[in-house]
Amino acid sequence: METKAAQRKWLLPAVCAACAVCLVVAAGLAVFALKKPGNSLELDDNATMGILPGVDVAQRQQELQQQLDETMIAFSINASPVFASGSAEGNLMLENPANNAKLLVVELYVDGTGELVYQSKAIPVGSYIENVRLDKVLGPGTYPATAYFKAYREDDHSFIGQVGAAVTLSVLS
Amino acid sequence: MKKLFFSILPVMLVAALFMTSAYAAGPDGAVPYAAGAYQSEDVPIGSSNEVLMVGTVEPTIMSVTMPTYVPFHIARSVQGENKVISPRITVTNNSSVPVSLDVIYTSVDLSKLQGTTWNNGQYVGENQIAIGFQLETLTNQMPTSFDGTKWLWANTQQDLNVMSLGAYDNSTMYVVGTLGSGVPENNTFSVIPTFIVRQA
Repeated sequence: METKAAQRKWLLPAVCAACAVCLVVAAGLAVFALKKPGNSLELDDNATMGILPGVDVAQRQQELQQQLDETMIAFSINASPVFASGSAEGNLMLENPANNAKLLVVELYVDGTGELVYQSKAIPVGSYIENVRLDKVLGPGTYPATAYFKAYREDDHSFIGQVGAAVTLSVLS
Repeated sequence: MKKLFFSILPVMLVAALFMTSAYAAGPDGAVPYAAGAYQSEDVPIGSSNEVLMVGTVEPTIMSVTMPTYVPFHIARSVQGENKVISPRITVTNNSSVPVSLDVIYTSVDLSKLQGTTWNNGQYVGENQIAIGFQLETLTNQMPTSFDGTKWLWANTQQDLNVMSLGAYDNSTMYVVGTLGSGVPENNTFSVIPTFIVRQA
C-alpha cells in the first residue's frame, strides 16, 4: 500500500513536468517555423506606410490647389451705388451667388476716414440684397469706399478669408 | 309744317357738325388722344409725330470669382530661382466691365522664423524671405524664374496691380518667392495680402 501511495505522489508532478516540456518544445517549434529567413531585423513602430510628404512637388501642389479651391468666392456689387440722401436706401446690389457654398458678410468702409458705414448680416447662398440703408448718415457728396466680403463656412460659421471691392458712393442730398 | 321742318333741317345738321368738331378739338384747337388709349399709331406719310423715349442708366455691377486664402510652401530644395510651391490662382471676371486686381496691404508674420526678416525684392540676405505674385506664362507650370514678379511689401500700404481682366475674362497667377540660407526650416509663417477688385 505504501509503495502505491508513494508512486501516486510522484506521478502527478511527473505528468505536469512532461506537459510543460511538451508545451515549451511546441512553442519553440512554432517560433522556428514562423520565422522567415530575411526577417532578422526588428521593424520600427514609428514608420508610416507611404511616400515621404514633401518629396513629390506635384502632389504637394495638388493638395495646395484643393485648399485654395475651397476658399474661392464669387460676389457681385454695384461699383457706383447712389443714395438719394444720407439716410435713404441706395442700390449697393450685393449678391452671394448660388455656386458659392459660403456665407458672406459685407462691411463697407469709407476710404478717407476708414469709417465703417455699413455692415450686413450673413447673406445666404443664392441670395442678394439690392438696396441698403447706411448705418452712418453721410452728407451729400462722393465717397471712395471699399466693401469687404468676408467668407464664412456654412456648417460651423468659421472664418475663411476676405476680399475687397472698390466702390464709389454717391449721396445726392 | 312739313315745309318748315325741311327748311330747318339743314341748319340743324350744320350746327350739329360744328358742335362735334369743337368738342373733339378741345380748347386749343388741337385734337387730343385719350390718355393711355394708344401706344402706337399709324403716322401718315409726310407728317411728323412725337415718340416718348425713356432711358434708364443701368448700374455698373462688378462680379468676380477669386480666392480668399492662398496657401503655399517654400523650400530650398525646389529647383530654380523660385522656391515656392504654389497653387494656380485663377481670378474670373463675370461682369461686362473690365476690372483690375490690386494688393493694397500685406500682413506678414515671421515670428515663428527666429531671426528672419522680410525683403521687398528677389535679392534676399541670409536671413530674409521675399514673396510676390507672377502671372502664368505657361499653362499649368509654376514659374521657375522671377521675370515679371510683383513683390509684396510687408505690413506697409501698397498699391500693387497684380492683374487686369477684360469683360468676362479670367487670368491665372502663382505665388513666387525665395529665402536665404539662414532661414530656419520646418516652421510656418503667414503672408496675408488684401486683394481689392476695382473697375478698370
